[in-house]
Amino acid sequence: MKTILFLTIVLLSGALAGLIHGTVNFAIVEPYLDQAIGIENQNLFDSGEEEDTPQFWAEYDGYRTWQKSGQILAGVILGISIGALFGIVFALSKNSLPGTHYVKKSLTLAGIMWFTMYLIPFLKYPANPPTVGDGETVVLRAVLYLSFIAISGIGAVAFYKLSKRFRNNQKIISIFGYAVFISVVFFIMPDNPDEITAPMNLVNEFRLMSVLGVSSFWLSVGIILGLLWNRIESH
Amino acid sequence: MFFMSESRQISVSKTSVSKLAILALAIVFAAGLFVVGFDQGHIFSIVYGEQAFNELYIHELTHDMRHAAGFPCH
Repeated sequence: MKTILFLTIVLLSGALAGLIHGTVNFAIVEPYLDQAIGIENQNLFDSGEEEDTPQFWAEYDGYRTWQKSGQILAGVILGISIGALFGIVFALSKNSLPGTHYVKKSLTLAGIMWFTMYLIPFLKYPANPPTVGDGETVVLRAVLYLSFIAISGIGAVAFYKLSKRFRNNQKIISIFGYAVFISVVFFIMPDNPDEITAPMNLVNEFRLMSVLGVSSFWLSVGIILGLLWNRIESH
Repeated sequence: MFFMSESRQISVSKTSVSKLAILALAIVFAAGLFVVGFDQGHIFSIVYGEQAFNELYIHELTHDMRHAAGFPCH
């Protein structure tokens, strides 16, 4: 495949999947963000940090509109970014992935990356709505979250490489090895230091919507890249 | 039979994309992730200086996606 075609289909599939992710979030996550920010505002009024005045709401409406309008644009940017990583891994691993159709191969890889680089890290460091999260700890939380994603992703690649040394009926050892490895990392890594100060039902429902949104990205990018790759390779 | 087996192995292990393309995608990945997940005024500070860290344009633009996609925020 020509380099320019490869780059085009990888970036296009990431952008389209990101557009879907942003749109899904706009529909199902935004109501929870609004609720959480409502609690945040009430806390500001109660503590005296802000006053419940028309000026406050005028300023609030201005930046809230900016934030909401960014949901879909940020989805496209994030989609291109994660789609680029997905494209790299797919290009390097497509011959080893099961199946003969590229959509099956691409969906399989999307499932593996969703599980190892999103779901497992999410279980350790789940998404939180606004009003949960201390500004003082944001760097620590970012380092912990990124580290866990990197450890899980690199661990999955390492155990995959190891599996190549085993015969077919022994490859399960690698999956078991990854499970033990990531379980140990899961319990060793420090917990999120921030206390959850929002109602738990709001936090849990927000997290469920967050998972559905991110999952829509991985499903979409798997299907779209596979279809585009198949179309180009078959011509 | 030996040659058939060998040629199959070669085609299976061959990677059809250039290293330059992989490098370009790696840069896109890192830059996009930073913009959406972690920028706190850093990018605009190149042009606007310290003011960018107070105005947080990119942070506010990506704020809702940060929360929704699980990035740490606030």
